[in-house]
Amino acid sequence: MLKKLIGALAMTTMMASAAQADEPHKIFLSMSYIGNDWQAEAANMIKAIAAHDNFKDRVDLQVQVSGPNAQRQIQQINAMVQSGADAIVVFPISPTALNNVVKNACDKGVVVFAYDAEITEECAYNVHIDQVEAGRIPAEWLVEQLGGEGRIVAVTGVPGTSVDAERTQGAMEVFDQHEGIEIVAEAVGMWSQAVARTELSKILATRDWDDIDGLWMQAGCFTANAMQLEAGIAPSDLKPCAGEGSNGGRIQMLAEGTEVEGASGAYAPLGAPRISYASPPYSGALALKLAVDVLEGKDVPELTKLPLPIVTSETVQLCETGSWEEMKNGCNAFLPSLVSNPGWFASIFSQDLPEIGLNAALVGQPEG
Amino acid sequence: MTTRAMPPIGTVVQRSRAVLVSIAVLVGLIAFSNWLNPFPLTYFDISFLASGGATTAIAAMGQSLVILSGGFDLSAGAVISLVNAALAANMDPANMQASVPLWTAFGVAIGMAVGAFNGFFIGFMRLQPIVVTLATMFIVQGITLLVMDKPGGFISASLGIYAGDAIPNFLPFPIVLIGVVLLLWMLLKRSRYGLALYAIGSDGDAAEASGLPVSRTLFVTYVLAGGLYGLAGVYVSGQTGSGDPLVGNALLLPIFAAVVIGGTRLGGGQGGLLGSVIGAYVLLVVVNILLAANVSAYYSTIAESAVLLAAVLAGSLSRDSKLSEQLRAGLSWLRARNGRLLVSQRDRVDNRMAFAGSATPPVLPGFLTRNAAVLRYSLPAWICLLAVLVATQLLLGNVFTGWAYWDSLIVLSTFLAVLALGQGAVILTGGLDLSVPWMITLAGVMLTGMSAGSDGSLLYAVPVVLAVAALVGLINGIGIVVLGLSPIVFTLAMNGILQGVTLLYSGGTPDGFAPASLRWLMTGEVLGVTPIIPLLLVFVTFAVLLLTRTPFGRRIYAIGNSEEAAHLSGVRTSATLIAVYMLCSMCAAVVGILLTGFGGQASLGMGDEYLLPSIAIVVVGGALITGGRGHYLGMVGGAVLLTAMQTLLAGTTLPYAFRAVFFGLIILVAVVGLREKRG
Repeated sequence: MLKKLIGALAMTTMMASAAQADEPHKIFLSMSYIGNDWQAEAANMIKAIAAHDNFKDRVDLQVQVSGPNAQRQIQQINAMVQSGADAIVVFPISPTALNNVVKNACDKGVVVFAYDAEITEECAYNVHIDQVEAGRIPAEWLVEQLGGEGRIVAVTGVPGTSVDAERTQGAMEVFDQHEGIEIVAEAVGMWSQAVARTELSKILATRDWDDIDGLWMQAGCFTANAMQLEAGIAPSDLKPCAGEGSNGGRIQMLAEGTEVEGASGAYAPLGAPRISYASPPYSGALALKLAVDVLEGKDVPELTKLPLPIVTSETVQLCETGSWEEMKNGCNAFLPSLVSNPGWFASIFSQDLPEIGLNAALVGQPEG
Repeated sequence: MTTRAMPPIGTVVQRSRAVLVSIAVLVGLIAFSNWLNPFPLTYFDISFLASGGATTAIAAMGQSLVILSGGFDLSAGAVISLVNAALAANMDPANMQASVPLWTAFGVAIGMAVGAFNGFFIGFMRLQPIVVTLATMFIVQGITLLVMDKPGGFISASLGIYAGDAIPNFLPFPIVLIGVVLLLWMLLKRSRYGLALYAIGSDGDAAEASGLPVSRTLFVTYVLAGGLYGLAGVYVSGQTGSGDPLVGNALLLPIFAAVVIGGTRLGGGQGGLLGSVIGAYVLLVVVNILLAANVSAYYSTIAESAVLLAAVLAGSLSRDSKLSEQLRAGLSWLRARNGRLLVSQRDRVDNRMAFAGSATPPVLPGFLTRNAAVLRYSLPAWICLLAVLVATQLLLGNVFTGWAYWDSLIVLSTFLAVLALGQGAVILTGGLDLSVPWMITLAGVMLTGMSAGSDGSLLYAVPVVLAVAALVGLINGIGIVVLGLSPIVFTLAMNGILQGVTLLYSGGTPDGFAPASLRWLMTGEVLGVTPIIPLLLVFVTFAVLLLTRTPFGRRIYAIGNSEEAAHLSGVRTSATLIAVYMLCSMCAAVVGILLTGFGGQASLGMGDEYLLPSIAIVVVGGALITGGRGHYLGMVGGAVLLTAMQTLLAGTTLPYAFRAVFFGLIILVAVVGLREKRG
């Protein structure tokens, strides 16, 4: 703690001198794998906030990708420190493997922010949701929908990660409390709609939809609903599904018959019984904003726990343009004509980030 | 033994060309990175570099041993994770001064135990290394998750010594560690074991015939390699100070790349450990350069692939390299053409000899006798499939009582069955195509992007996608045939390039949908049957005919048995090889298109999970990874077997860790059935 204080003091003095020189803060972003929607969206939002009028003169942002390899991320963070970073915003591939290198960065006065996933090293700032809660709340909703009784299918995330372990733990604790809840099949979904479909197909090879009363999925409710439609199940008979916050899933939650531009196939309003949670992709942008705050001497807590975005079939609301102002008034689903990819993550609204709206997440453009 | 005379210096240089070139590349890259960086190179940079690359370097040394023996070890990354997890789960948090030698021995011993498992099946049972180590990889990954299901645990600070300084401000500890291993290797290389290792890698049969202890040598090789992966696991534990059950898994490809850059020949018999260490550091310095040059994230995989290719190409350029051979052959062809000496330029005369008398038609042996070899190697997969089906019926039911199970099974097997033709043809020629994952993804992303959900657009979108795939295959083929690069290297680099291209094309998020007709093809229903199933039957028939009844098919087998013999017999090996790689890319593109129809949209990374299975099914289906043997129907059996196994496991609530272990064990059982009789 004392160390941290000294570090903070050293930093404030350093930053004061930096501010005098009127140089923009040199901030690096070390991303993980860019091969999926969530990462691409998070990156867009970070780029957008850095390009916003409030920040573009104060921040010099450089983006690097390390792939799924923690060894590379370690080397990358080292290289960033060596090339004079003021702050490093990182999507950590491992919560633990980066500890030593992050500690080293802090010792050299570099501010380190981890977004979405966590870094357990004390000197790092973390911005993320409570993952246990992200498993628990949807599970509770599902149990309630089923009246405490029924056969469910559970689809988890990437095995061996903390996020998956915590979400699954949170959900399983709830299911264990209800004797009437029986998990009939469990599959590894890798947080991917494509994998969710192959896994559900495998489960349904030996089982019928009639044998399943509900689904708990870390990702894949959109796909599960699409598959039920293909199997000839009427939209009004869709099984309750507790799952991720993809825009496709949100659109399906809108009352059947709602007119939305660009709807097609299963990417359409179905009145699906759903709860949709998300690990919001704005966390990186918020981390960048908070990093600037720290660099400019403001007090920022070590852990910024983001509110868990929860949307149910009752609270879902369509946005027209997706501006921050509009989302502030409560809309949380976007027109398929604007968001053509149903797997795209819709939980992009943060009270603290008026700089970014839909365009930021889609194409990296800040609000005007 | 008499004292050996020192070989002339020219021979030494010639023999270690590849290593010398890779050292030059490394020095050049460090200088370049230093020039880009505004800050001067300090001891800290060197020590960071030394420590950052050590895990890959140590593991690459182990992999080099295996590759020198002519093998391939896919379990390397998994062992690193296992050792890291085992250490983190077992070290006592209260003991800050845990004994470094003791825990190092613990980690190395775990690695050696896994190596002994591999070595037993590969050395004594003579199973193919690639499948055995693939099975081991799954088993080890499962066990790792049983040891530790999420990151955490505790690694004593005393182990951190490995990532620190041996002599402060002068010598980083990782350098010492690697140096010690290299020193041991120099002793080992001169020993009887070392000699046997190179002999086996150069020509296994000859080594066996000369009375070398092949089985024992192979066994020892995998044990030593396992020990080095274990050491890498210990090192990564000290470096990171904690446990992560996934930490090593992503290292597999960098480890291979490091070995290849270091000049060790895939297939065995040539190269060494020093080169692999250099290779590991080359890969690392590239990370620094990308940062210093501020290369956009989308281009980073392309840049890395370019470095990989450049380094390997530089190491292979010499008078007797494939490239110069091809150039010479091209020149002599031109000369022959100018002199009008080519066979095709001469008059066509029927030179066939007349058969004397009327020969009685030969009595054909029976079907079973004629196809004994094919059945011998194709049946095990189908027999295992039957066992899995019975097990599924007993545990979950619904297998033999209705069509639904079969429909799902066949639809899900489609992707692997199509890949089996492409990857199978490549493997039959003795190659391997690692560019499959991102070819699949690029095809899917292009299709949804171009068609934007409209059925009519399929008419041009599908041909365009297939044409792009053919182009990619053409480039693969040319790179392998003309530049003479190892298929693994070139297609690995191509995979990175395709990843970059896909990201650039999609801007990070793929657009659009699969057209309705494509979705109907994969998920619709005609008389209770998914429409793709009859098409798959047509495809399988076509593939069998292509590989067994056409000149093209026979040339593939001829090349796999001996490229040289095929060439001398008049087979245009270059053209055939290029065609095979084009076929493989196009099969991957078809899979991408079908997957898009199945899922309704394309997603980045959707091909990632098909690389290892595409190789596994071909080998489980009875093909020899070195080429020349295997039947497409066996590979289809492998595809259905793999899918049936996954279906069985998905229907249970077994934890993932156990599933991975089972999956590995079943693959192992399937290949034990393929064991060559030794006599």
